[in-house]
Amino acid sequence: MAVAVTNTMKKNHELAKILAAASCALVGGLSTAHAEESWDVDSAFLLYSESDGRVSAAEPVISATRNYDSETSLNFKLVADTLTGASPNGATPSDQVQTFTSPSGNGSYSAAAGEQPLDDTFRDTRVALSSNWAAPINRDWAYGVGGYVSKEHDYQSLGVSSSLSRYLNQKNTTLTLGLGASSDTINPEGGVPTGLFQVPEDASSSEFTQRNDSESKSIMDAVFGITQVVNRNTIMQFNYSINTSSGYLTDPYKILSVIDDDSTGNNYGGNYTVNNRNVYLYEKRPDSRLKQSLYWQTKHQFENNDILDVSYRYMFDDWGVTSHTVDAKYRFRFNNQYLEPQLRWYTQSKADFYSRYLDSSAYTEVDFASADYRLGDLDTYTIGLRYGYQFADETEFYTRFSLYHQESSGDDGYGKLTSQELYPGLDAAMLMVGYKF
Amino acid sequence: MAFVQHSTPKLMQKLTIEASLNPNQHAAPELWSEGAPCYRIQFECMASDCSMLVESHRVDLVIEAAKKAIIEAWRIENTFSRYQSDNTFAVIHSQPNVRQTLNQETAQLMLFAHHAHQVSGGLFDITSGILRQAWRFNGSDKVPSQEQIQALLVYVGWEKLGWSPQHPDQLCLPQGMELDFGGIGKEYAVDKMLKLFLSIFGDVPVAVLINGGGDIACSGPRLNGQGWRVGIESLAADHTSDQVISLSSGALATSGDSRRFLLKSGVRYSHVLNPLTGWPVENAPRSVTVAAPNCVNAGILATLSLLQGNHADAFLKSLAVPHWIHPTNT
Repeated sequence: MAVAVTNTMKKNHELAKILAAASCALVGGLSTAHAEESWDVDSAFLLYSESDGRVSAAEPVISATRNYDSETSLNFKLVADTLTGASPNGATPSDQVQTFTSPSGNGSYSAAAGEQPLDDTFRDTRVALSSNWAAPINRDWAYGVGGYVSKEHDYQSLGVSSSLSRYLNQKNTTLTLGLGASSDTINPEGGVPTGLFQVPEDASSSEFTQRNDSESKSIMDAVFGITQVVNRNTIMQFNYSINTSSGYLTDPYKILSVIDDDSTGNNYGGNYTVNNRNVYLYEKRPDSRLKQSLYWQTKHQFENNDILDVSYRYMFDDWGVTSHTVDAKYRFRFNNQYLEPQLRWYTQSKADFYSRYLDSSAYTEVDFASADYRLGDLDTYTIGLRYGYQFADETEFYTRFSLYHQESSGDDGYGKLTSQELYPGLDAAMLMVGYKF
Repeated sequence: MAFVQHSTPKLMQKLTIEASLNPNQHAAPELWSEGAPCYRIQFECMASDCSMLVESHRVDLVIEAAKKAIIEAWRIENTFSRYQSDNTFAVIHSQPNVRQTLNQETAQLMLFAHHAHQVSGGLFDITSGILRQAWRFNGSDKVPSQEQIQALLVYVGWEKLGWSPQHPDQLCLPQGMELDFGGIGKEYAVDKMLKLFLSIFGDVPVAVLINGGGDIACSGPRLNGQGWRVGIESLAADHTSDQVISLSSGALATSGDSRRFLLKSGVRYSHVLNPLTGWPVENAPRSVTVAAPNCVNAGILATLSLLQGNHADAFLKSLAVPHWIHPTNT
């Protein structure tokens, strides 16, 4: 009897061992199929309209991401935008009607007395495709590689990017090094104008016939970032980035007015003329630019699930431009909806060679000059509101409306010029509608 | 099973899971805060209320890991469900009497079922589910005839399958036979969930306990080093004999169900069927809870012990595994 019991126990111990091993083999097996592989698509449509009917833009965006696992993903993004309207050509308004040669040299356009000179031939369609692959190397390292191509009728860009991330401190800290390079080609309508050369009357001029068809520029950038999980509700990011461009950095369509600075004459402050033609010069910028920026962002989730997202960027470059950007968003979260007001303020100090106009006594001596307001003293304000609705099937509809206001300032000129509005403001409205599925 | 709670839970959010990963259209899982760093995720799977208790300072990883784990549980549920027309289960049964190649996961489950069948002397048999066509354990007194049972037993028997452990991915399923992975599916899902959950955290400290409708697995002790307090409910309506145990590693699984029985002429027939006779096991305990290193292991031991009838306790004692039995007559 005792022997029988012992045998049973032995047999059962054996049984337990076999079952333990069999269950371990089953559970430990690499049998998981990755059912989570699927495409996440975000499609959106953006409408942009400036006041006074200047530029308007329509921009469809579609982004598709395939997630292979929590850290491996492939993303494609396609953007197409169509810009139509008129943009400031850089010349000052005048008390006289002004006539300008169109960029191609085959026509002209004019601005009435006191009116902002706008180049209404401005029209473009851009298509851009980018792709990015991100994957882990091991538990502590991850990498990403990407490519970018965009095309307009007068501009092409081709870029590559890569990044390397290191997780530290149990993934509470992430260090990221990113490197990027791009090569752009500019082939402006009418060819590449000669910087600081007087805008000719038409395409028959030798300035036109001697033009190159295209120019190029190359851009390299590097970013070093630290992302830190502060606590379970707060995440913070610091970035330092350096960006260097070289080559043709000038805007081929922008010009400058030369203003008569002879205070003894009766055209003081008027357009300077030679052979009864107003003198306008093509702008010219240095052929290299080194930008550096510091960026800080903090996201905080409150106990009620609302999210505050605040960021600040400081940028400075060797053209003398410095800028500050402050952006704040607050997302009120409800069950399956959210409402997100946004405020953004941007201020910029002008580039050393920025000049609203050139003096007639000195215009032949400048090395570089641009009247592009984007290089002048500038403040912009954006106020926006985003709304999102999440459906039961986890798809999301969202829309954002924002108003944009821009103010420029600078030297008010002299003589007749002082009665002209040299720094008009700009107001624009943007509406975006999107759907994620 | 019930858990002892300490602070007032607060609903933080519903976890969004893409519709394509939720084929059985379960309600969105809910993330509850039980006072940092404790979280509870409630979700449905395999007709049970399931939950995860998590202790971590990284709520972002908690959410990511919970979603991955739930998606995995729903995938397993959908893969082996007997009620889908296009899943793995349906595909296997649509090709009787021909040699077919099983996917790796199914082959692994077949190997496990084989071992369980061998060591139980044929008492554990995943081909026996078909007997439920005769036995309906709904509290009634409808006992099937021996003829009915004999007719079904023709289609029961692991050794009748064209399958061998040397080639676990090759199967020839005789016409009329059925493979039922339901008996190990829930435990398997719990173990897979735990594994996937922990893989998201890597080195990050976390403690988690997954409760798949009474089948439980934990990652280890709680962050404070103490065990998880798990209540083992008695089947009595007043819960007078509930026990609270401390679980600091491994898994618990329970077999048996007080609501599923037949009562005829004073004999209570449990829902545990002996695949060799086609009849319910006599004097089986109402339920057995077993602790083991993983949930599949605990589940198979609990099931095998029920099949021992009134020898269940002796069987479990001989295995020297921690166990809790609710006897027949309580």
